[in-house]
Amino acid sequence: MWELMTANITADLAYYRRSRLLLAFMLVFLLMICLQTLPPLFTDSGVQKFNTLQDILSGLNFFVMVLCAGLGLFIMSSHLRSRNLKMVFTKPCSPAVWLASAFATAVLVALLLNVIVYASTMALSYIWKVPVRTGLFFVSIETFVVSIGLIAYLVLLGTVVHPALAATVAVIFNSDLFYSAEFWARSTVAAGNDGWFLRTLIKVFHFLYLALPMFQPFASKTQNIHTSLRVEHGDWKYLAYSLGYVLVLSLFCYSLALFALLKRKHI
Amino acid sequence: MILADNLHVQFRTAFLRRRVQALNGLSLKVSEGDFFALVGQNGAGKSSAMYCFLGLLKPTSGRVELMGKAPELGAAVYRDIAYLPEEPHYHLYLTVREAVRYYASLYGERIPDKNIDETLERLGLAQFRHLPLAKCSKGMKQKVGMAQCLIRKTRLLFLDEPTRGLDPLVVREFRETLREIHQQGATIVMNSHVLSEVEMLANRVAIIERGKVVVQDELRNLLTIDRHAYSVRFERNGDLPGYLTAIEQTGNVVKAQLLKENLHAFFDFVRTSDVALHECSLKRTSLEDSFVNVVKGKAPAASVAPDTTAQSAATGRVS
Repeated sequence: MWELMTANITADLAYYRRSRLLLAFMLVFLLMICLQTLPPLFTDSGVQKFNTLQDILSGLNFFVMVLCAGLGLFIMSSHLRSRNLKMVFTKPCSPAVWLASAFATAVLVALLLNVIVYASTMALSYIWKVPVRTGLFFVSIETFVVSIGLIAYLVLLGTVVHPALAATVAVIFNSDLFYSAEFWARSTVAAGNDGWFLRTLIKVFHFLYLALPMFQPFASKTQNIHTSLRVEHGDWKYLAYSLGYVLVLSLFCYSLALFALLKRKHI
Repeated sequence: MILADNLHVQFRTAFLRRRVQALNGLSLKVSEGDFFALVGQNGAGKSSAMYCFLGLLKPTSGRVELMGKAPELGAAVYRDIAYLPEEPHYHLYLTVREAVRYYASLYGERIPDKNIDETLERLGLAQFRHLPLAKCSKGMKQKVGMAQCLIRKTRLLFLDEPTRGLDPLVVREFRETLREIHQQGATIVMNSHVLSEVEMLANRVAIIERGKVVVQDELRNLLTIDRHAYSVRFERNGDLPGYLTAIEQTGNVVKAQLLKENLHAFFDFVRTSDVALHECSLKRTSLEDSFVNVVKGKAPAASVAPDTTAQSAATGRVS
């Protein structure tokens, strides 16, 4: 099994390395970040440097999360649409192994990207003498954990629906939207516009909010770390909780994606 | 080796959801050591049948057995199977060498670099080994598919239109290689439109028409020789004698048939009329003749009718 995993991971890494779309995406974001780092080079203010470091970190982390979601989506949709999986599944390599390899490759690339972001921001914190290394480490780990969940979710969506629809669901019809929708419906009811329709809507929105995955379930607890880049002793447990949640979510998404793959009428 | 019993496959079109019957009660049996050819018109269901055998397509109803088991994607049974697809559905982002190595490594064993290089050399791919498949021509992609089939010893080989897009030299070499593999004991199942190629290679043939097997027999039974008639080809330079039945004419070259008792008269005609004779042989029913007869609804030379039962599929002969 390990030989098969290694063979698939090597091929999938070649896919990421040679995907021009991913490369273009990466270059645009890197260019944006480089432009962002220019102003502090001309100032001596420590506060300005801290703010810039924080901006760079959040910008890069956002970029890594979007890219990681793309990694999961692209690997599934591209292989399914080009129908090259028939070359894999007519060898003694089961869909379970192939899917696990695809997921593992995306996670490996996500890890690499997070390490690059962490190393870059650490280097800047040394150069600018901003002592927030623990915060940088915490935020980088948290981003990696979120990335795993995003990859798993997009792998599932990429297996089940068209990539355009998968991207729409991930970007628009996510748990945040239904949380906001539920909040709006509750506010409307509280304002006196009570009715069976709104009450049903609240239930539907609440169900969808619970059913769709959250990628940062403890965001409210760790929000301060993102702004101050300082970590308290008790904050690390939220990281462990997030990791546990994401692993369960990944297992669930993997199982569903595998089920969908096996149920496909035509490979 | 392969048993298909009453396979039905139904598709629905994308927008109008119309039903398309790809396989309509297909039954056949491929025994160990066969070189089995599936022939049929475009859309007859040859590739769908092969996909069903390989587990790539789930039949709507019916039963398939591959080496005694229901085909399950990626199962251990594929350790002894190689497959060359009709369309170049390969990992186009890999280079030629990477692709062959990747497909070989999916068998879970280490293939020495030397073997890979030798196979690429043999198929004339050595100089393109670092070229991404996306940039390869159709023929080169087909060769890559062949390379991944030939790189290790297999018991069962599925070939879907194997020589499509290949140059004649490679076709010839590939044919020799297939013969060699077959002689070593491998079972080969091939889809092909090139009936002359099927005649050269296969020992059993199934003619598929509208999703079902209409003829399944030994090739030799489909290629009959009529010892009472002759087929002749010559350059016409005047009227034809009455005993000749013209079949076709290309330019001034006529292909005709005559009965054995008229053979001496024909040679007299050739001598006296100074006709250039190209060919004279016993009349033979080719696979193409049998195929055309079947497709046009006439009884084939070796007359066999469709089979829909597992029992008769198991006998290999369509009753």
